[in-house]
Amino acid sequence: MNENPYERASPASPPSTPQPASRELLPFEFRGNGGEYFRIWIVNLLLTIITLGIYSAWAKVRRLRYFYGNTFVDGQSFEYHGQPLAILKGRLIVVAGYVVFIIASNRFPIFSSLLALVLVIFGVPWIIMRSRKFQMRMTSYRNLRFNFHGEFGGALAAFIGYYLLAVITLGIMFPSWIRKRVQYSLDNAAYGNQQFSFLTGNGVYYKFCFITFFLGIAVYGGLFVVLKTLFNVDSLATDIDVMANAGIVGWVLICAFIVALLGVAGYYQASAANAAFGGVQVGSQYVRSNLRAWPLIGIYVSNLFAIVFTLGLYYPWAMVRQVRYQLENTAIDSDGNLEAFTASSGVGIDAVGEEVGDFFDVDFGI
Amino acid sequence: MVIAGRYFDGRTSAGAEARLEFGADGNVRVYGAAEPIAAPLAEIKISERVGNITRRISFPGGGVFETHDNDAVDQARESLGMRGGSPLVHWLESRWHVAVGAMVAVVLVSIAFVHWGVPAVANWAAGVMPAEIDRSIGAGTLDVLDRVAFEPSELPKERQKQLSDRFVTMTKPLDDGHEYQLEFRHGGHIGANAFALPSGIVVMTDELVELAKSDDEIISVLAHEVGHVRGRHALRQLLQAAGISSLAFALFGDVSAISGVLSAAPALLHAKNSRDFEREADAFAKQWLRENGIAESNFDTILCRLDDSHGDADDKDDKDDFDYFSSHPSTTERAQCPKEEPEAATEEETPVEEEAPVEEEMPVEQEPPVDTPLQE
Repeated sequence: MNENPYERASPASPPSTPQPASRELLPFEFRGNGGEYFRIWIVNLLLTIITLGIYSAWAKVRRLRYFYGNTFVDGQSFEYHGQPLAILKGRLIVVAGYVVFIIASNRFPIFSSLLALVLVIFGVPWIIMRSRKFQMRMTSYRNLRFNFHGEFGGALAAFIGYYLLAVITLGIMFPSWIRKRVQYSLDNAAYGNQQFSFLTGNGVYYKFCFITFFLGIAVYGGLFVVLKTLFNVDSLATDIDVMANAGIVGWVLICAFIVALLGVAGYYQASAANAAFGGVQVGSQYVRSNLRAWPLIGIYVSNLFAIVFTLGLYYPWAMVRQVRYQLENTAIDSDGNLEAFTASSGVGIDAVGEEVGDFFDVDFGI
Repeated sequence: MVIAGRYFDGRTSAGAEARLEFGADGNVRVYGAAEPIAAPLAEIKISERVGNITRRISFPGGGVFETHDNDAVDQARESLGMRGGSPLVHWLESRWHVAVGAMVAVVLVSIAFVHWGVPAVANWAAGVMPAEIDRSIGAGTLDVLDRVAFEPSELPKERQKQLSDRFVTMTKPLDDGHEYQLEFRHGGHIGANAFALPSGIVVMTDELVELAKSDDEIISVLAHEVGHVRGRHALRQLLQAAGISSLAFALFGDVSAISGVLSAAPALLHAKNSRDFEREADAFAKQWLRENGIAESNFDTILCRLDDSHGDADDKDDKDDFDYFSSHPSTTERAQCPKEEPEAATEEETPVEEEAPVEEEMPVEQEPPVDTPLQE
């Protein structure tokens, strides 16, 4: 790794506090490997199938513990504490709700459509809030839990309110919506009793969203112009050789178009991840994120092809590759005080564990 | 036994270089922390091993000892005779021959599950569900068809009454919770056909009545449709699609990129199930005919004639069609067609219509086959 690959790419405004000379970059690392995860994955699959899906909750816990537990920063790893029964409960609620809804929608179609709309508007933010709480509270680092203080109102405003604003303004406020969602998830998070701050401003979001938009227009516009030219040429061609040539040109064109579109998608993905994670401040620690479009797209595309051509067997290696790339291009810009965080309640983790043990302590995520 | 690691007290993120000892007196001690830590073996919790991730040994006060020396922890557990956790799962997960075996088993179990398991479970579940459910599945279908396809029947009222009476005589003794009812429509471009809605409504086109040479032929077609209703095929189809979607979801649910590829699976099986249901309905019809002293040949005759009336464009050579594609069994399999109708030996052509709507999400709500036409 070169001197400081994170500095240049960080979209966050620079920390306002004067930086002592002792700051250092602590990169995340992933210590798992595809072969090891393959064995965990396939055993999970088998047990899930022969238990008719019941084991999937246990499988999820093992999967997340493998990925969290192999994620290291400053020599220490993360831990996932989710309990299979809480996950199973969440899934049963979702399945039961689905079945009830299907039956209801056959009996009372109009009422059910209205109900579905209300459920989407109010249910989705609620589920997101509950899931964030579960995810954060079930994660620890150095035996200190993360936490999430987000409320329902905030989720409703961020996920639904800003969405409506984006629609009303014909998409002009779309970047604000994206940013609000990230802000809700990150601003409300905490490590121990230290609340996160989300520093990335609207400017960054508007910039990469509009660049994405114009790149997309340029790609489609370019294709249109080239096609129009080619179409005219092609329509004049009656000779079979010319047609064949046009065919090859056509293929080259299609490939170039796909590559260009993927490049745009990669630019967006990388920019969004950098804007989100790179904007996190936890006390005197700053997260730096330096994903780049082409390596990211290279990983997505090669993973997809490898999974399809191995009939799914490559899946565990694909997951590991993707996670490794993301983690190894993320780091903590630290003042060396990673040991100075304190627990929220001043007591051990057990108290937090009990506090979240209520009925709705369920995980709705996949 | 002494194990090296770090101790975190749970109050701050500060950790201390520490050693953990499983004492001979049944106590577990940590050396190196700011204060001496000790607890009886029964009160500590050792995290389950997954791969080679950091092992955590939790103490009652909230402190945790973390170590990368998984093997030493496992040895200590074993020598102390500790139970619990799931060492068996880790044992399975850490061996390549188990992984290969599991892989083969996943493939075989998936195939068996799709081929036998899903239909059996769906059949059982349908048996448990009340007949009212059937009514809700295809509600509104006839209204839609009346708007887009059918016209009112042109059959004389007396003829309709005559056939309806025979239909009532047939369905009354069944007493299976369904409200059977016969409806007549002018088929138009649909031509001679009959189909059943899950609720028990059987629709027959005027063209079919005209095509039939005797009432026994008509009644044999109606018996086939009643077989669909009585067998609750629409509900079972719905349940099977849900089962297959669940399997696909369990296998690759978190790979969003390939969910599009996966959504084709229930569609392929849809056709196979549908043919199984046709055979079941055929069997019901023939049995009913036998029991009521009507010649089974009536069913064969009308089926072959129907096939003729539809199958002008049939390919003669699609016998080698992959068995999973067409929605009806071939007529040659279903009926003994009389020799004077040589055309009738042709296969049906259906695979094109079996393309399922490709959805972005997992196709749990795959449209059920609310109608089960006798012929396509």
